[in-house]
Amino acid sequence: MKIRLIDENGLRVDGRRPDEMRRMRMEVGVLEKTDGSAYVELGGTRIYAGVIGPREVHPKHLELPDKGVINCRYHMASFSVDERKPLGMTRREIELSKVIREALETVVFLEEFPRMMIDIFVEVIQADGGTRTAGITAASLALADAGIPMADMIAAIAVGKVDGVLVLDINEEEDKYGEADMPVAIAPHLNSIVLLQLNGRMTPEEVDKGLEMAQKAVKKIHQMQIEALKRKYRVEPEGLET
Amino acid sequence: MQYFSENELVVPGQILSDNPRQSGFGTYVREGKVYASVMGFAKSINGVLRIIPVSGRYRPQRGDKVLGIVSDVKPNAVEVDIGGETTAVIKPHERETTPLKIDIGDCVLAEVKATGLKGIVLATEGLQKIPSGILISVNAAKVPRIIGRKGSMLQVLRRETGCDFWVGRNGLIVVNGPDPAHEFAAVAAVNMIEREAHTSGLTERVIQMLRKMLGRGDEDSSN
Repeated sequence: MKIRLIDENGLRVDGRRPDEMRRMRMEVGVLEKTDGSAYVELGGTRIYAGVIGPREVHPKHLELPDKGVINCRYHMASFSVDERKPLGMTRREIELSKVIREALETVVFLEEFPRMMIDIFVEVIQADGGTRTAGITAASLALADAGIPMADMIAAIAVGKVDGVLVLDINEEEDKYGEADMPVAIAPHLNSIVLLQLNGRMTPEEVDKGLEMAQKAVKKIHQMQIEALKRKYRVEPEGLET
Repeated sequence: MQYFSENELVVPGQILSDNPRQSGFGTYVREGKVYASVMGFAKSINGVLRIIPVSGRYRPQRGDKVLGIVSDVKPNAVEVDIGGETTAVIKPHERETTPLKIDIGDCVLAEVKATGLKGIVLATEGLQKIPSGILISVNAAKVPRIIGRKGSMLQVLRRETGCDFWVGRNGLIVVNGPDPAHEFAAVAAVNMIEREAHTSGLTERVIQMLRKMLGRGDEDSSN
């Protein structure tokens, strides 16, 4: 039996149009004990990101004399998925930690923190597709909230292909039963792609079209990031010593 | 050309100016244009664009007065813990006849002489040893608010509580007052400023809170 992911009206399993994103909600400064934190909700996906640092490097041998290091941990809660995720870091989580770290390394000014480390924690509380992209969006917000100097913020979204149609922001079902999944992370001001993965098959034309769709969505997400940041701090700065 | 209004809250990556020579603290230059690198309030001071960060750990800068606790005394250097898991050193002059009379656990206020790959060096000139008091730790980004414009907020705190304040740019503050009630009031005021740093009309509320607190404190002692 073949599962139909697009109905006769061209709508997707959750009733969205192909180029429609799920509802996204962001909040900044949600965790007390971190230097910066963020919460991102994308449909059923819920993610907390926390940033601690810059602080002294631990373990010491990772220390670099001329620049800082980023330590990133992407972790899913055992209860975040349908079937209990085993304890500890799985292969998938280790890979995602690495790709998120590499995406963020491109924008953070690490040379300003010699012999220091920035810890980034991405905790997936509930997973419904697009956790790595929402994780990057959250981590970038948390970094900005932690006051870490960076060239730009990063916003990310996935593009997929289901039933031969390119769709934006795929959810769990579309990821499982669809044909392709392409997460994209973009630094909007720098206008550069900092993460691009592709799982499945897409023609070169489809990749181009998908990138275009992602770029449009990223602009929206970036705007939401700015609003979330400003919501926390929007007040009159009277009486500051300059 | 400037792309922001004075005191605007800017976010990392936001364009600020076309003139690369205006790049100051919290900004960076890319392709001849100035962009913000941290979130904060953008200001143009004598033609230089600066961002006053609203958050973040303390980043030592030359000329900052910082407060710290001496963590180690070595033959040729004194190590000072200046909070945020960072350590600074004081290096006495080579032919110093009177060694610095500081010991492990002392609280000192000193100016940052140099920062860089070799670490943070504090100046021996103008080094102050703080006799006693309560040590408070606040977010370093809120320190400008605790000092206030030209020290106005500190003046208010000193006047209303009668306590002495030593404020380090790194977010460590020592309060020393005539009695515990006044010291606790001062600590409460500092915490309030930290919490509500970005709201307006704060000075007035601080005065009100202090008067209420100290008024009540006097009543308690009469019982």
